[in-house]
Amino acid sequence: MARVTLEHVTKRYEDIVAVDDMNLEIEDGEFVCLVGPSGCGKSTTMETIAGLTKPTEGTVRIGDADVTTLPPKDRGVSMVFQNIALFPHMDVYDNISFGLRLRDYDKEEIDRRVDRAADIVQLEGMLDREPNELSGGQQQRVAIARAIVREPAVFLMDEPLANLDAKLRVHMRTELQRLHKQLDTTIIYVTHDQAEAMTMSDRIAVINDGRLQQIAPPLTCYNEPANLFVAGFIGSPSMNFVNGDLANDGLRTDHYDLEFDPAAFPLEGIDEVTAGIRPEDIYLERNTESVVDPSATIEATTDVLEPMGDEIFVYLSLDGSSAEMMTSDEASTASNQLLMSVDPDETIEADQQVSIVLDRSKVHLFDAASGEAITHGVADESVHEAPTADAEGGATEVESGGQRD
Amino acid sequence: MDSLRNSLQRLDPRSGHGADEPVSREREGNRFAQLRGSDFVESIPFWLPATLLVLLFVYGAIGWNVAISFTGWSGLGQPDYTNFTLEMYRQMPADQNFRASLRNTVALLVAFTSVSLVVGLGLALLVDRKIRFENTFRTIYLLPMALSFVVTAIFWSWMYASDGLINTTLAAVGLEALAFDWLGDPRFKLAAVIFALVWQFSGYCMIVYLAGLRSIPDDHYEAARIDGASTLTLYRRVIIPQLRSSTIGATVVLMVFALKAFDFIYVMFGDNPGRSADILAVTMYRQAFSASEWAYGAAIAVVLFALALTIIGPYAYTQYKRGAL
Repeated sequence: MARVTLEHVTKRYEDIVAVDDMNLEIEDGEFVCLVGPSGCGKSTTMETIAGLTKPTEGTVRIGDADVTTLPPKDRGVSMVFQNIALFPHMDVYDNISFGLRLRDYDKEEIDRRVDRAADIVQLEGMLDREPNELSGGQQQRVAIARAIVREPAVFLMDEPLANLDAKLRVHMRTELQRLHKQLDTTIIYVTHDQAEAMTMSDRIAVINDGRLQQIAPPLTCYNEPANLFVAGFIGSPSMNFVNGDLANDGLRTDHYDLEFDPAAFPLEGIDEVTAGIRPEDIYLERNTESVVDPSATIEATTDVLEPMGDEIFVYLSLDGSSAEMMTSDEASTASNQLLMSVDPDETIEADQQVSIVLDRSKVHLFDAASGEAITHGVADESVHEAPTADAEGGATEVESGGQRD
Repeated sequence: MDSLRNSLQRLDPRSGHGADEPVSREREGNRFAQLRGSDFVESIPFWLPATLLVLLFVYGAIGWNVAISFTGWSGLGQPDYTNFTLEMYRQMPADQNFRASLRNTVALLVAFTSVSLVVGLGLALLVDRKIRFENTFRTIYLLPMALSFVVTAIFWSWMYASDGLINTTLAAVGLEALAFDWLGDPRFKLAAVIFALVWQFSGYCMIVYLAGLRSIPDDHYEAARIDGASTLTLYRRVIIPQLRSSTIGATVVLMVFALKAFDFIYVMFGDNPGRSADILAVTMYRQAFSASEWAYGAAIAVVLFALALTIIGPYAYTQYKRGAL
């Protein structure tokens, strides 16, 4: 086990900055996911930690040692690759033991470690098989065993489940969590799949354009995103965003108003604000009993319905326009659209007039200019203090905003 | 094949049941219509002419050559196909020229193939290191492959001449002692041929190996480096073993080229290069077309054919077993 620290790490390729002044501190035994869209620099960050890429600037520490200039083999790291990277001319035993044989371990020790690693990843009886005789999941387990066998201080995993089918991916996700619990080793895991990041990690490091956007536990990233990028990236489907102008009594957007007391939030010097609300925090008016602090009613028309089994995604149009040709991301950022998630048992149809409310305690405000989060929840303090009373009485339209004509 | 079988079954008179004539005629008409519409019949114009030509001029000629080798045909006149004998094959072991050319052929085969593979692999490894002007180097190395044996043989004859570029260069750098008569001295003749052929074919090996190297994912390099492999170990234990199929493919092609190196040696030395550089292909030509020992020339050709089969047979069988043929 070891702590991994990146101090002002920058990696430039001619005119491209792949990693930009990255500062990261990963604790002993922690499972951290580096997550972000393709090309955001997460794999380069991992390669920098592995020693496969030398940073242009900055320092990489593993434990107390500065490993910035050390070759990969001297860093005490093991890596599992996206393409599995088993050597096709070696059988499972030779693949797993490759690193140990290079280090001239004696045969007995190699056998002991290989058997233990095979036992951990449940590969007993398969040691003499060729990689092409194994299924995708078994191959991935061999790759993990090859990483385990050297008993490294840090595991690096670069999208190891990306090439597996959906069912196997979910299974391997659980296996990796079990493995982490069993080995209690620091794991740094690169993925662009936020479901993997959310379910497996102790903390998520969200990266975009080579810069660290936020590093926090998964639910913190979800509930308290540091900026617009994190808010939009974490969560599927994405958060709804709408730009609006601040007024004395709240936020005015193109199609509705959201009332709150601006003085209660650090909004000085900010003229334009982006409000964000997740699909599951929008409710049909008839279901507002459980909403802590509902907004005023907003009239909308249902457009497209996407039944997912455990929920239904409802594309709502605020001005009669259609979201049919929009992706969920486009719909969530269009000012005249809202994406709502409702219970699968809800009776709802396309092209139906509905009245909805937003849960104000779940409305996020961002500075539209910088994208930085201002507050998470715009509910009145009194509402938070007495949620029961509010739930019983319900908030009036005047108190919490209203539809714009 | 299924469509052919179906068509033939439909045409088989035994499959009829002696129905009355108008019905039978109608059925026959249907059968011909179906036959005309089958994929097999419709594809005949595309493959039959080529197949007939190959059967006649390749396999027919091979068969004819084998038949001639069993006769005692020599000089003017016609071969006697009524009295087949193994005499030509019996006299081979005692023939000093044949033994020398067989030995030289095997030496050429082994040395040319192995050196070309090693040089080609070396070039491929160098070019694969994401160097500048990679395409230029690739073209330069591959260019000799595009030249005909006649051109390269003449070119290397000039190079190897007593006052050629090689000896002139050696003299210029003070190594006159190493300036030999490369094409006249029996000690160097075959080596000179092998060197020139390696020059011509190592570019081909480079391309084959380069394709093999490019098919190895970067992850394999990175995984080996993380596991602690030095550059030498990485190539020796991880990368080169993965080039096995490239090596086998290139080896077969090079060996077949080595067996067919007739034109190169013929242009360089004529039909009698002397025992030190004689190979079976040249011996075959000399026996048949210079000495008019047609049957003996044909027998040597059969030996060459058997050698080629020995090389290609196992490769073709392995490929067939893998389903690649």
